[in-house]
Amino acid sequence: MILEVKSLSKAFGGLVAINNLDLGVIEGEIVGLIGPNGSGKTTLFNLIGGVITPDSGEIKFNDREITGFKPHIVCQSGIARTFQLTKPFAQMTALQNVMIGRMYGSEPVRSMRQAEEECEEILEFIGLGGRSLSVAATFGLVDRKRLEIARALATKPKLLLLDETMAGLNPTEMEDALQLVKAIGDSGTTLIVVEHVMKAILDISSRLVVLNYGVKIAEGKPQEVVQDKKVIEAYLGEQ
Amino acid sequence: MGKRKEAKLASNWKQLSASGGIIGLLVLVPLITTRTDVITWFYLTLLYIALSQSWNLIGGYAGQLNLGHAAFFGAGALAARYIWLHFGLPLPVAILGGGLAATIFAMIIGLPAFRLKGIYFVIGTLVLAEILRLVFYTILPEADVMPMKLLGTYSLIPRYYLSLLIAVLTVVIIYWISRSRLGLGLMSIREDEDAAEASGVDTQRYKLLAFTISTFLAGLAGGIYAYYSAAFRAGGLFEPVWTFDAVIIVFVGGVGTIVGPIIGSVFFVLLKQILSLYLPGGIHVAVFGVLFIIVVLFLPGGLIELMTKFRKRTSVGEHLH
Repeated sequence: MILEVKSLSKAFGGLVAINNLDLGVIEGEIVGLIGPNGSGKTTLFNLIGGVITPDSGEIKFNDREITGFKPHIVCQSGIARTFQLTKPFAQMTALQNVMIGRMYGSEPVRSMRQAEEECEEILEFIGLGGRSLSVAATFGLVDRKRLEIARALATKPKLLLLDETMAGLNPTEMEDALQLVKAIGDSGTTLIVVEHVMKAILDISSRLVVLNYGVKIAEGKPQEVVQDKKVIEAYLGEQ
Repeated sequence: MGKRKEAKLASNWKQLSASGGIIGLLVLVPLITTRTDVITWFYLTLLYIALSQSWNLIGGYAGQLNLGHAAFFGAGALAARYIWLHFGLPLPVAILGGGLAATIFAMIIGLPAFRLKGIYFVIGTLVLAEILRLVFYTILPEADVMPMKLLGTYSLIPRYYLSLLIAVLTVVIIYWISRSRLGLGLMSIREDEDAAEASGVDTQRYKLLAFTISTFLAGLAGGIYAYYSAAFRAGGLFEPVWTFDAVIIVFVGGVGTIVGPIIGSVFFVLLKQILSLYLPGGIHVAVFGVLFIIVVLFLPGGLIELMTKFRKRTSVGEHLH
């Protein structure tokens, strides 16, 4: 098991965002994480990523306890993430953005030249090959999302958390994005993908986990989970 | 790919030889002229280059708007003056001692200061320098005057060379950092702290590191002044003007660039001299205030941006002809 979350809880004031959650991820999986707005998906990412600390419970990565680690240590141990609202280093070039990940991530290189060469390749892979010297502030939504993934990939993660990278894309762009996520999965990176677009999530996930009010209400094969009564109720309300 | 590297190498050589040429000319200045006003003008420009470039590291590259820079300039100046003049140790020891004093002080206050974020960090550092100013006006109210023996043989030339040495050292250090892994890390903190953390950057550690280096260099700049000034009051070394001159120079020249603070310093000292000739005393401060606002609002890249735009336009024009 690459990631093991045990009885994790987090409340903001009176609101319980994550409630006694257990979650296991096996190496090589692409886990789709879905649930209505406010069900705790991003909170779970923030807990795993170390942005916030849980009230109780534990998070293990490769059998090592990482609960309460600072975000940079979580990243250095091999978990990378993207942000729902992209956070590019706006006044830096795309290449520099990605180099940060390469030089500070989990298998950091020290030499600027080596980092430059490897990051050019990552940008090529992600589809930003021609724009490596453009400043990130000039990027549109699609390229900003690509850059976000490239920067996360550059940290050489074993586990990558993608937070709604397909929101706002048109069908063609989404198809490209799906291929990209699949390619990342094929290269051996384990993925947890938060996505609202059902078609996308059904297409790429090997397993689906459904959250509602911070509780896991269903888990299993994508096609089965979407027919689950509890899941349908969570999305559409009770009949 | 290969072409880009070649072009890079060529422009590196160009930069290197241009910088070497400028430094060479600056070394010759006291041999070319004996006019004290000219040498003083060069001395002041170099002092401001050192001071503003040191602020540029923490404020421009790391994006931490430290408005207490005067505290470290003052600590460095005061320590250097005491070590050199009152304890009678050699000047290089005094200058290094000034830098170290500023850094030690920065490390003591850095940890609590960086618990503050955004505007609170700005206010916290500003208040810190103000506290020091008041403390030193109170505990050292007398003017610190060079002894007659020294004043009798006072020469501007060693002061000028010290300022040249420290300015070059400062620029070289910041240039080197700006092109290193450390520089990238600092810029990522400036751009987005959360994203920097998520990419593996230990933001707290690198902020402290930038602060340490920046304040050490500010302390060295203080040493230049301690060696130059015939008389000063200790509190005056901590006046906010030392901070704001540096901040204005960096923003007017081009924040977060190497050449910005250099051009800014030349422009600042030149304009200050001209304004103080034609305007009643103190008015130049108001002019700089207005200039600062204009630059921040309409030219966020500073004079550097203006020059690049101009150069681009002329080169486009050449193509058309």
